[in-house]
Amino acid sequence: MTAQLIINGISLGAVYALIAVGFAIIFNILKFSNFAHGGFMTVTAYVGFLATRFWHTSLLWTLLIASLAGGMLGIIAELVAFRRIRNNKGPVIYYFVSSITLGMLLENLMTIFFSTNFYAYPNFFPVATVKVGQLLLGVPELIMFCISSLALIILAVLIYRTKLGTALRSVSYDVDTSGLMGINVLRIIQLAFFLAGFLGGISGVFLGISYTLYPQLGQLVVKGFVASVIGGLGSLSGAVIGAFLLGIIEILLIRLVGSGISPVFIFVIMLLFLLVRPRGIAGSHIQEKA
Amino acid sequence: MELLASVLTFTAINVVAVTGVFILTGLTGLFSLGQGAFMGIGAYVAGLMAIKYNFSFPLAACGAVVVGLIAAVIVGLPTIRLRRDYISLVTLGFGEAIAALLNQSVNITGGAMGLSGIPKQTTLLLAVTSAVICLLLVWGFKCSRYGRQCLALRSDELAARSMGINVNQVKMVAFLLSAAITTYAGVLYGFYTTYVEPVMFGWTKSAEWIIMVFFGGINSLTGAVVASALLTGLPEILRAAAEWRIVAYCVIVLLILNFKPTGLFGEYEISLLSLLRPRGNRIREGEGS
Repeated sequence: MTAQLIINGISLGAVYALIAVGFAIIFNILKFSNFAHGGFMTVTAYVGFLATRFWHTSLLWTLLIASLAGGMLGIIAELVAFRRIRNNKGPVIYYFVSSITLGMLLENLMTIFFSTNFYAYPNFFPVATVKVGQLLLGVPELIMFCISSLALIILAVLIYRTKLGTALRSVSYDVDTSGLMGINVLRIIQLAFFLAGFLGGISGVFLGISYTLYPQLGQLVVKGFVASVIGGLGSLSGAVIGAFLLGIIEILLIRLVGSGISPVFIFVIMLLFLLVRPRGIAGSHIQEKA
Repeated sequence: MELLASVLTFTAINVVAVTGVFILTGLTGLFSLGQGAFMGIGAYVAGLMAIKYNFSFPLAACGAVVVGLIAAVIVGLPTIRLRRDYISLVTLGFGEAIAALLNQSVNITGGAMGLSGIPKQTTLLLAVTSAVICLLLVWGFKCSRYGRQCLALRSDELAARSMGINVNQVKMVAFLLSAAITTYAGVLYGFYTTYVEPVMFGWTKSAEWIIMVFFGGINSLTGAVVASALLTGLPEILRAAAEWRIVAYCVIVLLILNFKPTGLFGEYEISLLSLLRPRGNRIREGEGS
């Protein structure tokens, strides 16, 4: 039974990891918490749903359409909400306000267009569970875990093994110097937003499949935030580890105390964690710059 | 007349809440996405004290503010010494936790059904008086040593620290004061509407207040008040296209951010002194008063 819970926790954690990494990529580059990420997830969840409704797409096509839409949304978001602030060298609080505003805007637009009806994704999976030995595994969870892991691995390869990834990491160290070294900083920032939106798209569809579609779906982004805090802000690998840990903790908590009250416990765990190890698991420490 | 009184009362309550957010966001540059939760604490604690134990309004308000302060200490202690982002992320989690708590403890708070039957004690006079008192309080805070230290650490924390400002302590004071004021706004709200439910106090509430503070100009208390009066009062009167209200705010704020990032009022404050001399200079402002 314990093994079963841990496996469920890991597959939940994989989805959280997508959220957390999408959030951490932006944090890494522009050094602010992107509260619009939840908005990305909400919008893409609906885009994916519309695709299944009108084109009867399969799961993979749905994911592709939603994540590409998310990527485009990310690029547009950069253009309307952050480009001018960056050009004017505005203080970091402007990024905050901008991302909060954008997140609210997206959520409210979705509320206006879709809140009158409840929608749900069609059932993509012919079989609900498979039995492996003693363990009963949910097929949706299994597939979500595989796709999420695949996406994360591809992302890791992109960031750590390609020239583009090197540029991305260099910009996250120092924007100005990277520009002087001949990196097109704007393109890299756009790439970061595209990747964040792309990951947001995948997680949005997965959340839409796991729960019903509602305009506040994006508020589950808080799981990604918690995972980032546990893992260490600004660290991609920390975010992944934090997310898996959070998934397991959450499944255990749901088992022990029920799903309603578990946010309280998670909050307390997060506070204790911050007291004991504020740098997070990964231990990277981003210094507050003036 | 009834409508006007109700609009004015809501505006006054919102002004109270926004002054609380102003201390934190405007002065100190911290973003709390859990202010809505503090408001919820205020409404629920005071409401329960009044319903279950027949406490009078002042006692219930004091009790609620104390509970709000305790919650703020619990949230603030681990987070305030860290990078600014933590307080936003952690307060967001705090909001979730409070919502879960309110939803789950059904036999005390009524759960998702909400809490009804709070005595209607908030009058227009009380709300306006509270708003004025809070304004004076926050104005005094802005001009005090703490307020100036807040401004200093908002622009450059490292420099503020090296000038001998106890950054963590100043941030904590700002956070506690802001939490207390917002909790009190929640008390007023609960005793006015007589009915509260957990969904009223989500992160969108907090974000709305941040937008109001920002709309008016992040350095200007005058701006914050004008913005909250404008943004609460007008839609209540117009009523049409109520769902587009927030969308309109967001678009306006994005435009402001892009084209006039200091907000509507910038650093301008209405006061006798600044009317007499050329406006603007923040360094000198407050020293004369």
